[in-house]
Formats: sequence, structure tokens, C-alpha cells
Amino acid sequence: MTTFMASLRTTLAGYINYRGREGHYSFLLHRLTGLGTLLFLTIHIVDTATVYWMPELYDHAIALYRLPIFMIGEMGLVFSVIFHGVNGLRIIYQDMVKPSSWSIHTQRRAARVTLVVSILIWLPAAYIMARSLLAHL
Amino acid sequence: MDVTLRVFRYNTEAGRTKPSFDSWTLTDVDPTDRVLDLLEFVKGYHDGTLSFRRSCAHGVCGSDAMRINGRNYLACKVLVRDLNSTTITVEPIMGLKVVKDLIVDMEPFFESYRSVLPYMINDDVPADGKERHQSIEQRERFDDTTKCILCAACTSSCPSFWGDGKYVGPATIVNAHRFIFDSRDQAPGERLQILNEQEGVWRCRTAFNCTEACPREIHITQAIAEVKHAITSGNVD
Repeated sequence: MTTFMASLRTTLAGYINYRGREGHYSFLLHRLTGLGTLLFLTIHIVDTATVYWMPELYDHAIALYRLPIFMIGEMGLVFSVIFHGVNGLRIIYQDMVKPSSWSIHTQRRAARVTLVVSILIWLPAAYIMARSLLAHL
Repeated sequence: MDVTLRVFRYNTEAGRTKPSFDSWTLTDVDPTDRVLDLLEFVKGYHDGTLSFRRSCAHGVCGSDAMRINGRNYLACKVLVRDLNSTTITVEPIMGLKVVKDLIVDMEPFFESYRSVLPYMINDDVPADGKERHQSIEQRERFDDTTKCILCAACTSSCPSFWGDGKYVGPATIVNAHRFIFDSRDQAPGERLQILNEQEGVWRCRTAFNCTEACPREIHITQAIAEVKHAITSGNVD
């Protein structure tokens, strides 16, 4: 347990304090968006399960999703899924198809391009969701 | 120029049982001074108990890997002007137990290194009875990974290693790569098997900190990817 806590402390301190370059932040964002997506999937499975077990709770859950805070969260979720997917494709390409692209110059550029592409794909969805959010206010 | 040097301190022999930082304001620092020069100055003129490893002081022996302003460097290779800051914070590398001040216990690192049989394995007598010939291309195949000086700057910058000290780490994989792709070696399969274990290459998450931190500019993440390919394809050409 002590070893586990020590590792956890080092890991979190490293995540936050280590001054890495694009790769470090890309790794962190990949991990955060992955955990975000996992959290959503867990909640989604639980709330959908209530249709069978407690239908009245399901209606309540759906009503909750109409709250502005959840709608903003959903916009973040869409970004998480998009970034995690696009960055995953980048890593697969660099690691499995073209290992020679793991040079400092190419990797830094690839990480930046991945973020820009993710935002560009996310923007139309964010626009539609923001419109819906404003209509519900 | 004036520089504020902040150094991590933990020295049970000097009664400093809790980690803390000491600061010194150094005057007349030349922008081309190395961080190691500043540490030597402090040790020589301000506090003789300050402990750190150094040997050749020319980026060859790999003794003085440290976290300087949050990033791993060799203290003997990084110049004050390269840090773009008048405050320089020096801390031990991460993921290895601190023994004293900037000195960490390197044994787990070397234990991992030894686990991949980092030496030539070939019991056959050379064809001409004298030497084993290689083409320029065969030698070129592993040239990059011969440059490693085992400073641990890469391994201690790796998020996977921070989370799991049993992960073999980038430096070990680099040194395995050096022999796996050497046409004279006869045990690449054995090394690939070791690196295909749970704590082997598959723990690499391609965060790329290792390649950024390497003072020898080795393409570490590429070498790790090549080892992954060799494991999946069985091809070491």
C-alpha cells in the first residue's frame, strides 16, 4: 500500500510538475479525455439500466441531462471522444506504421496538428450543442 | 548576471530529515556557465554538505542527470542561458528513491538494465577465426542506440515509470535495441521475450518525454517502436 501511494504521489507530481513538451501535454490530455469518456460511459450504462429497474428514476435522469451544467459537460464529452480518437489514430500511425516519425520535430508538429484537427472537428458539434443549450436557458 | 539557485535538500547525516529547498543568490554568473558550475560553486564556497553526483563533467559519464527547472537535463550540459530564467530550481530525477540531496538510488535502474542481457551473445567462432564482419548498413541499423550513457534522464522522465517502478523503462529498451538489431548477436529472441512481458515495451505510452530528455539525442521512442515491431513480426532486420 505504501509503495502504491508513493507511486501515485510521484505520478501525480510528475503529471503536474514535470515541464515536458508537446508529447507530455498530449499524453495528459489523452489520459484525461479517456477517463472522461469512461466516466460518461459508466454513468450512461447506469442511467440506461434504470429503464428496466426503476423507470421513474430514468425520467428523472433524462431531466437532469437537460440542465445547463450537464449540457456544457456534454460538449466537453464530445471533445473528449474526438480528441481521444484523433490522437489515438496519430499514435497508431506513428508507432505502428511509421516509427521513423518519432523524431522531435515531427512529433511536436504532429501533436499540435492533432489538437487543431480535433478542435476543428469538434467546433460544428459544439455550435449545434451550444445553440440547443441557449434554447433551453 | 545574478542567479537565484534553489536546490532540493534531504540529508539525514546533516540532520535534514524532511525534504526542503535551499536558495542562494549567485552574482557574476556567466550566461555560458553550466548548472554544474553553479552547484560546484555552492558546494565549494557556501555549503560543503550539498551532495550530488558528477564525474567527467563533459556529458559522457552520465552521472549528473537532474531535474532542472522541471525538466531532466545533465547538469554538465545545460547552460544558464539555455534556461531563460534567473531562478534555477534543481531537484533529483523522479521515480527513484532519494538517498541524499540530488543523489538517488540508481540500483533499480541498473537492475532493470541488466535484465535484458546487455552484452554480445555469440559463442560461435568467427568464420575467419578472428573477427565478425558487418556491412555498413548492418552497423548503421543500431548505431543510434549505442550512444546511451545510462544517465537515467529518459527513464526518470517517463510517466509510465513514475506509476510503475517495475516497468523496464526507456533506457533498458534502448540498450536491448542495441543488441537485438546487431547482426552479430545470437540472442535477440531471448531479449524480445523479456521485453514482451507485462513490464516490458507495452507499458510505453509514447508520451515522448524520454526522447526530449535524452542528452545524447537518441531517438528513444522510435527505438521502442522498432522493438515492438520486432516482437509482433519476429523480424529483427
